[in-house]
Amino acid sequence: MTQAAPPIENVAAASSASLTRRLDYTALVWISVPVLLVFLVVLPVYFLLQESFVKWNDDNTMLLSMGNYLEAFTDPIYYSPIVITFVIAVAAGVFSLIIGAGMAWCVSRTDMPYKGIIRNSVLAAFVTPPFLGAIAWIFLAGPRAGWLNVLIRWIFGASDNFTLFNIFSLPGVIFAITLYTFPLAFIVVLAGLNNISSDIEDAANIAGGGTFSTMLNITLPLVLPALFAGLILVALEAMILFGIPAILAIPAGYHTMTTQLRQFMVSEDDMLGVAAAYAMPMLVAAVALVWTRGKVLGRRGYATLGGKGGQRRPQKLGSLRYPVFFLCFIPVICTLFLPYVALVFTSFTKTLGGGLTWENLTLEHYVFMIQNDGVRVSVVNTISLAFMAATGAALVASIAAYISQRRLVWGHTFVGFMATAPIGIPGIVLAIGLFAAYTKQPFVLYGTIWILFLAYLTKYLPLAFQTSNAALTSIHPELEECSRILGANRLQVFKDVTIPLFKAGLIASWILVFMPSLRELSASILLWTTDTKVISVVIIDLYEENLFGPISAIAVTLLLITLAAIAAGFSLVGRDFMKAKR
Amino acid sequence: MATLELKQLLKIFGTDVRAVDEIDLSIPHGELISLLGPSGCGKTTTLRLVAGFIDPDGGEIQMDGEVVSRGGEIVPPERRNMSMIFQSYAVWPHKTVYQNVAYGLKFRDVTAQEGDQRVKKMLDIVRLGDLGERYPGELSGGQQQRVALARALVVEPGVLLLDEPLSNLDANLREEMRFEIRRLHDEFHITSIYVTHDQAEAMVTSDRICLMNRGKIEQVGTAMEIYDRPETRFVAEFVGVTNSIEGAAAGAGVFATGEDVKFKIGENGAGGVSGKHFVSIRPHRIGIHKEGTTIDGAEGLNVFDGEVLRGHFLGSSADYLVKVSGLTEPLRVEADPEMFYPTGTKVRLVIEPKSVIPVRSSDD
Repeated sequence: MTQAAPPIENVAAASSASLTRRLDYTALVWISVPVLLVFLVVLPVYFLLQESFVKWNDDNTMLLSMGNYLEAFTDPIYYSPIVITFVIAVAAGVFSLIIGAGMAWCVSRTDMPYKGIIRNSVLAAFVTPPFLGAIAWIFLAGPRAGWLNVLIRWIFGASDNFTLFNIFSLPGVIFAITLYTFPLAFIVVLAGLNNISSDIEDAANIAGGGTFSTMLNITLPLVLPALFAGLILVALEAMILFGIPAILAIPAGYHTMTTQLRQFMVSEDDMLGVAAAYAMPMLVAAVALVWTRGKVLGRRGYATLGGKGGQRRPQKLGSLRYPVFFLCFIPVICTLFLPYVALVFTSFTKTLGGGLTWENLTLEHYVFMIQNDGVRVSVVNTISLAFMAATGAALVASIAAYISQRRLVWGHTFVGFMATAPIGIPGIVLAIGLFAAYTKQPFVLYGTIWILFLAYLTKYLPLAFQTSNAALTSIHPELEECSRILGANRLQVFKDVTIPLFKAGLIASWILVFMPSLRELSASILLWTTDTKVISVVIIDLYEENLFGPISAIAVTLLLITLAAIAAGFSLVGRDFMKAKR
Repeated sequence: MATLELKQLLKIFGTDVRAVDEIDLSIPHGELISLLGPSGCGKTTTLRLVAGFIDPDGGEIQMDGEVVSRGGEIVPPERRNMSMIFQSYAVWPHKTVYQNVAYGLKFRDVTAQEGDQRVKKMLDIVRLGDLGERYPGELSGGQQQRVALARALVVEPGVLLLDEPLSNLDANLREEMRFEIRRLHDEFHITSIYVTHDQAEAMVTSDRICLMNRGKIEQVGTAMEIYDRPETRFVAEFVGVTNSIEGAAAGAGVFATGEDVKFKIGENGAGGVSGKHFVSIRPHRIGIHKEGTTIDGAEGLNVFDGEVLRGHFLGSSADYLVKVSGLTEPLRVEADPEMFYPTGTKVRLVIEPKSVIPVRSSDD
């Protein structure tokens, strides 16, 4: 369909010739987007691989070498981050799955009260930047002045040396990561549970199965793929997080793979090659996890999961209704309410332990935020980057989705694959690849905002693609064909039919990229320079200087911007727009 | 209004799937012809070739004597002055009923006032006169289908294409809309191609039926011709129920099966019996009588004795499977249920020669 049709002689209208010409421009778009995708995804991975397998000579020539791998994987001090990361991924994965799946079951299958509060709070937890949660938890469970420790000492009359909670520890890191990854498990499992209609369970009941046996033999196996997919997503997320380990693990004396990678990148010696080699296990693990998840969810045998919801009959909890609700509310308190209370409080007070007195109240942290040049620049950078990334990703993703659904080019399935491939590239690994690709001639982007733009665009492309793709499936091709046969050419069809119907999907993908772009850390932390700092990087800087007040002020501001974006999304698209996420 | 001419039209999917296999079809002004056949027979592909959504790999399509499609050269759909009714209705959810119907007029040389009149008149014709400001989401399936009809007709297209327009409606509505489509065609006389896999739909709506199978046209004719004088075994079996009996010509007007059962054949078959390998006998054309009944004029008829393998009383008719010695398959017989012959009864069957129709096998 992309080839230009030569004008036909003796055909109805001569003007059809100019019309067929016009198709060439759209064809150009259909071809340029796949090319752009290859450029976005393949280039960083290629340079990452290249960097890991070569040593540079003084005269700038490459030498094929396994030296980087030897250096990265023979020195015992680099073993422990791998072990720690593995432990964190497994532990946070399992805990998140237990919490998320349990809450999902209560929301989907029982008559627990206030389900809406639980569901919406978990979604809200989802948009909270994990690194802010980690900082808030220092206020809450820091070994000396943490509120919970102070409270415990007060209750039990213990001495100031008594510390029950210490967030600066491996369990502390796992705890904090679990708080910010269980929402993923919740969403995935909830979707799975909501797709099993009670008919299936009723059938088992009628066949003689009791409530428990039905759950064990019917519901559980049906929801197993969703459980497994949730586990994989959470483990992947726990593995690639940078913020929480940087804030909580490093003071405790641990490195994870992500913080170790940053260590290589900021080292005085040129350790880019070692970093690239050290990133490989993460890349391989991420790709393997994503691939496994696709396999598990793609099995045809579980097709009923994709079917209509149907009627669901809630499990009666009886006198346990309220206890179960409070149990489900605990993770929400830990993820949302306590941290935000701590952050808001800290942002308005002079000292952390000073209590809520008039003397302790202050606006100085907000004044600092506004007056500090570095912070101001970073706010401008962050918001412009988020705008650019959201706009770029929404455009590229919607065109890619259109191409792959309308099969406009040869190899259209490949387009969808490329647009979702970045799911398998951890942010920090992507950043190393981009660094390797864009610090050398001919493309020198390092030091400009464009390298961050590329990082954000690539990282969030899958999110935008999945949203656009879902929105496009609801636009039947016949809606477009009908417009054409009635007299509209391709461009008019776009204007009259495709774009009006697709608008909601476009806005949703824009916002879904905009929000996480505001707080992107794991790629930014390797790609920033003085002029291109972003808010998240500034927060890490301030953290290293122990400036908790300004951090909290920035955090509260960031939260308000995010809430504004969500509100805009709801009013423009309706409440469904969060659903498309993941 | 327009004439359509399909010449040696060919469409190949992948490397070797001949979805439309060099078909010839000519459709005069104002005719409603239906393309009937099982799924995958190429009927929808043919329709989409006519619409210009896909390019032919060979042959050509002419509209009013001018080529609109030829391998690699194609007038785009929007320049063909055609309309189409889609299986999914394709009613735009973001436009009101009025806006939906008015859409096609903006590409035509129509003044605003005239356009408004035409839209309103058309909405009245499809009985949606007072629903113009509604959105499609507020309409029933049948009403949406009427919007699609109005939208397609208001532009006064040269050719109207209908792609299984009723298959998404429930049974009652479908029956009603069949007559509606025929009524609108009688009113406007637009040259139309109607794709369907439902024989009753084709018989009610169309002037002629074009039966397709595996990318080829099996037979073109009126409903009566297709039913009473099928040319191929496929046509006989696809339209209605029939008994297909294999065999070969054995002299003038005689058809013999393997076991040497002979059928006398009347004048009805197209092109006579020679070269045909099947005969088709409709179940209701077979008379069923008690064993040993004397048949008047038996020498001019086909008379066989048999035994009822299975008899069912269906109220308005009785349905039998009758084993006749010498025939490998039992014959299906449909008879007046006044006399009912239970399973196991010995019976005598009578078939008039004109009801024994020699047909080609589709592979011939």
